[in-house]
Amino acid sequence: MPSKRFDQAKPFITLGIVVLAWMLLPVVVKSFLRVGFAELQSPIQATVSHARDLQEYWAERTHSKNDLITAGRELGHVYAGYEFQAQQTEALHNEIARLEQLLRLPSNPHYRFEPARVALRDFSGWWQQLVIRKGANFGIPVGAPVVYSGGVVGRVREVHAYTADVDLVTSPRTRLAATIENDSRPVSYQGGDNPPLAPARGIVEFVPPDIFASAKDPKRLVTSGLGGLFPPGLTIGYVTRLEASTDGLFKSGEVSLDPRLSELTEVTVLVPLNPE
Amino acid sequence: MTFLLPHRRWLITFATTLLLWSVVMQLNHYLAPHGAYLFVGGLLVTFAALRLSLRIGLTATLLIGLAIDAVEPVPLVSSHALPGTHLVLFGVMHVVLFHIRTRFPREETVIGVVVALLANLGFFLGLSFVFVEFGRHPVPGAAWLRLFADLGWSQLFIVIIAPWFFALQERALELGQVDLAEENRRTF
Repeated sequence: MPSKRFDQAKPFITLGIVVLAWMLLPVVVKSFLRVGFAELQSPIQATVSHARDLQEYWAERTHSKNDLITAGRELGHVYAGYEFQAQQTEALHNEIARLEQLLRLPSNPHYRFEPARVALRDFSGWWQQLVIRKGANFGIPVGAPVVYSGGVVGRVREVHAYTADVDLVTSPRTRLAATIENDSRPVSYQGGDNPPLAPARGIVEFVPPDIFASAKDPKRLVTSGLGGLFPPGLTIGYVTRLEASTDGLFKSGEVSLDPRLSELTEVTVLVPLNPE
Repeated sequence: MTFLLPHRRWLITFATTLLLWSVVMQLNHYLAPHGAYLFVGGLLVTFAALRLSLRIGLTATLLIGLAIDAVEPVPLVSSHALPGTHLVLFGVMHVVLFHIRTRFPREETVIGVVVALLANLGFFLGLSFVFVEFGRHPVPGAAWLRLFADLGWSQLFIVIIAPWFFALQERALELGQVDLAEENRRTF
């Protein structure tokens, strides 16, 4: 009888030994295993991403020459507009540098722009993350901000040899210092409201009570630049609902996010030029 | 190659589960714009727990748990106790299934599908508790709504894909010259 009981308990004893061994394992070994298994899967994700790009390329090759010429011309118009804006931006940067020197003000952080293709989207109810196809091989640092044409995408959480994991602004793990447009008072943004079959939403807290927003009159929520992580003025979303919080001192509400966040194929990583 | 021969049983099982996991990740990539997510943790564990010996099956299960832990974020990163969430949950589920497997016809596909569904439900609730409660989710109510919707899609997906996946694992082991009948008779 004791032998039968021991046979029945053997699987649990085995598991207990394994779990205990895991808990006692040095952190360096756990980190090595984590990195090893991540790098084992990175080539799979990158290869499938390249295959997807190839598929899109061959699909676009089926377009007629007239379609391609029209698309090229439209891009030319857009490019001409961006070229002019780039010249204006450079002039503004030079003016800012001159004023900073004149007034002896500290410089805002400067960034290197690293565009990256999105290899994998992983959007569950537990987390929201992207895997991009650039990593340590392009000097992507942990914590670097990630943006796209519509504003903030998120922040680099983990960097591997050839890929990097980005926590999205819709993730419950993401919290940002923000401001309402045309107001300098800081508010707090946090992701996490991801309803099924619907666009993601965020939560804004510590909003001053004299600010009002509704679905008909939304207020743009932008990065404040506090903490030096994100440049100031980048769009996070639009505040569509505000109501008094339980303490009565501030308001909290809902932030409507761009639906394009769930369809991104290319993002830009802002790599700080002068990391502190 | 000589190293691989004695270890082919857990290697083949791990390879097939890694294949399924990769395929499901790609499906989730395309489902992301539609606000849906598939989780098939129960299916990854079921065949190894029901059809293989403890040592071989648990090895393959723990390896796939480590592989998933490597790419998924864990809450409270500064706490070293939590890395390994999938490893521990998969290990526990494997051992529980192994313990009770003699009480039903475990070689039947239908039984395998039912076990996979129940195991997946257990994983889903366990992981949700860890990530929503320990992770201090800002809107737990909305999170559970999304999670239950994802659970529905996942269970439906398992019902459809499980018979194919079990057949794939059986065939892969046969190609690797593993005697499944002998494995079934082994305990440890």
